[in-house]
Amino acid sequence: MELAVNAGPRGGRPAEVERLSERPGHPAHEEKTARIGMAVFLGSWAMLFVALFFSYGIVRARTPLWPPLDQPRLPLLLPGLNTAVIGASSAAMVMAERFPGLRRRAVALTSAAALGAVFLTLQALVWTRLWREGLVPSGGPYPSVFYALTVFHALHVLVGLAALATLAVRAARGRASWIAVRLWGMYWHFVGVVWLALYAAVYVA
Amino acid sequence: MEEGLTVSVPAQLAAAEASQPIHPPPTSFWRKYVFSIDHKVIAVQFLWAGLVFLLVGGTLAMLIRWQWAFPGRPVPVLGGLLLGKSGGVIGPAAYQQIFTMHGLIMIFFAVTPVLIGTFGNFLIPLQIGARDMAFPKLNMYSFWTFLISQLLVIASFFTDLGTGGAGWTTYAPLSTNVGTPGTGQTLVVLAIFVTGASSTMGAINYVTTVIRLRAPGMTWMRLPLTMWGLWLTAILNALFIPVLGSAAMLLLLDRSFGTQFFVAGASAVRGGGDPILYQHLFWIFGHPEVYIMILPAWGILGDVFSFFSRKPHHWYRGSVGAMIAVTVLSALVYGHHMFVTGMSPLLGEGFMVFTLLISIPSMIVVVNWVMTILGGRIRFHTPMLFAIGTMILFGIGGLTGLFLGDISMDLYLHDTLFVVGHFHFTMAAGSFVGAMTGLYFWFPKIFGKRLDERLGKIHFWVTFLGLLLVFLGQMTAGYEGQQRRLFDPYQYTFIQRLHGLNLATSIAAFLLFAGQMVFVWNFFRTVFGKGKAAGPNPWEVTTLEWTDAPSPPPFHNFDRIPYVLRGPHEFGNPEVLKRTGRDWVGQTEALPGGDMAGDPALSSGKA
Repeated sequence: MELAVNAGPRGGRPAEVERLSERPGHPAHEEKTARIGMAVFLGSWAMLFVALFFSYGIVRARTPLWPPLDQPRLPLLLPGLNTAVIGASSAAMVMAERFPGLRRRAVALTSAAALGAVFLTLQALVWTRLWREGLVPSGGPYPSVFYALTVFHALHVLVGLAALATLAVRAARGRASWIAVRLWGMYWHFVGVVWLALYAAVYVA
Repeated sequence: MEEGLTVSVPAQLAAAEASQPIHPPPTSFWRKYVFSIDHKVIAVQFLWAGLVFLLVGGTLAMLIRWQWAFPGRPVPVLGGLLLGKSGGVIGPAAYQQIFTMHGLIMIFFAVTPVLIGTFGNFLIPLQIGARDMAFPKLNMYSFWTFLISQLLVIASFFTDLGTGGAGWTTYAPLSTNVGTPGTGQTLVVLAIFVTGASSTMGAINYVTTVIRLRAPGMTWMRLPLTMWGLWLTAILNALFIPVLGSAAMLLLLDRSFGTQFFVAGASAVRGGGDPILYQHLFWIFGHPEVYIMILPAWGILGDVFSFFSRKPHHWYRGSVGAMIAVTVLSALVYGHHMFVTGMSPLLGEGFMVFTLLISIPSMIVVVNWVMTILGGRIRFHTPMLFAIGTMILFGIGGLTGLFLGDISMDLYLHDTLFVVGHFHFTMAAGSFVGAMTGLYFWFPKIFGKRLDERLGKIHFWVTFLGLLLVFLGQMTAGYEGQQRRLFDPYQYTFIQRLHGLNLATSIAAFLLFAGQMVFVWNFFRTVFGKGKAAGPNPWEVTTLEWTDAPSPPPFHNFDRIPYVLRGPHEFGNPEVLKRTGRDWVGQTEALPGGDMAGDPALSSGKA
């Protein structure tokens, strides 16, 4: 069998190399590559959050009283509602990935983004209330942990929200890349899962 | 080989071609050389960025050596420029900043970009037979993020209280506002965070590219060892750089937003946080970092030994397995940096056992190198000399690590110059000389010209002997009890008798630094002058970048995606000699006289 082997560099380059950028793409291959990249990224970012939760654990274990008596308790209700909101947003994202039909997908994407915005609004409400009650970052390890973890998580929500909003606008105009939707879906579910851990560890526990 | 024949070769090649990340060739100057998404250009950008900082880090090292040789005496030439206010004398605060920034710059901003940024970017697509990295744009962002972090470091020098001064480890609470106030330290911590982001981007690219874009026939067990080293490094980077990121982030919050993760005691409100937490976070990252910096060098060495001994690498699979084992174990040993911090003796012994266990896979790698060289027809070109040098220097570093991994010994040696000598043998000498091995070896491919061999050999001997003398000197001083980081060691009477030793070591260090100028001269002269044209394969070796692409490789690397037939170390095969008259055959090269692909004697790992 004669193998098409590149025996060595030649003088001129074949014309097909010069025209490579005009060749049609291969979406299935590209998506698989991008999904692996996204998985590595999320694995990497999961380590960041693991390290933050580890820090929380150590700081809390070293503090005699948690929460301190003279500092406001964290609310449970509003963040609990937020857990439902971000869960619903994730579900809407699943629908955006799976629904047949462009219109329904666009609607699902828009609702996912809207729910993300609701999440941030409620979270902002939680922050302002606690701040007014006197919980400020410089008030010791208890507020340090609270603000560091929630704000850092909210930044991730913000990034995801910007992406979802862009995708929703594009979908409404009928030219969204569904690969991008699925990739941002992975990211969005990740942010949701982190919130679940955060709610359990910071608000409830 | 059979699995390669189930789908027809043209179909495999077509599928591989369809998976390639293609971008239009750049037309403007900016797209081509500045905001390039071509992996080869990005590699060269990392190389320049790294080499410049290597020079800066080296200069800072010379200042430390000056202080230990001639404490209180003004530094000639440099002193007037950098330390004008004190008349060229290194003061205590300046000294602290010098040793801090020497470590940080060398690790994060010099060796990492050269060893991982340059070789990773340049070699991964070329050695696995791809047209570019899986995510070319992310690759560009990785470099520009890195450049921002370097600029932050430079900016930190010009702040009011000067740059960071809390040691390269940036231990809290010294690194908090309590110990090191000032914008300089904040900028340095920010730079660490930003460079971490850059490394993570790079790691995502490296991991994905090797998984997805290997050319048809390039099975995992046919990857050059360099690829294994870089890939495992990328995995460690992806998993553990974020832990450093979290430490840097919390430290930044402590410094700039008044949180109290690492501040404790009198300076803290309500009990405060825990300074020890910083040490945990730092070393959870910090120990894998040691292997992040040495695994690429191990891989390069494995290939170079085989190439220049004209023999297949001894027990390739064993070396791959050992490197994987080291990667896994490296995540389980960080506690040995904290024996003196205080921990449960049981936990300490656990960390000790894992630490000492690492020496088993490490020795497998080293013994395989030795077995590869033994009985080979060795060509003593510059890369081979550097590879042998790396092996010896790293070997010393590894063996002295056993002393430090042992708790009872570590209690005595902790924070002495013995530790400094040890990690310089592994991370500095090992990584730096390993990077030089790679640089001398791939220079012809990157720039298409040959470096001067004679100057290269002079550079090797000065570097090798210099490093040996400097770090053996340090270890001896440390074993005698000299603590590391002392501004003026001789204020302690028991160290005064070590002044002669320190002076001699410093002189060796100055000669070592001067010797690097041979490299600078050789490098600049060849890159910008008229070097001898390299030709596609000057070393007569087997991997794809040499056999299937000219030097330097053109845009999108290959004329067509190569089809890989065998492993990377096909040397000294009598059948090949009979058919081609050469002692080597490339990974993609069909032998004259029919397809030998199914011949077990020619597939890698069995040969």
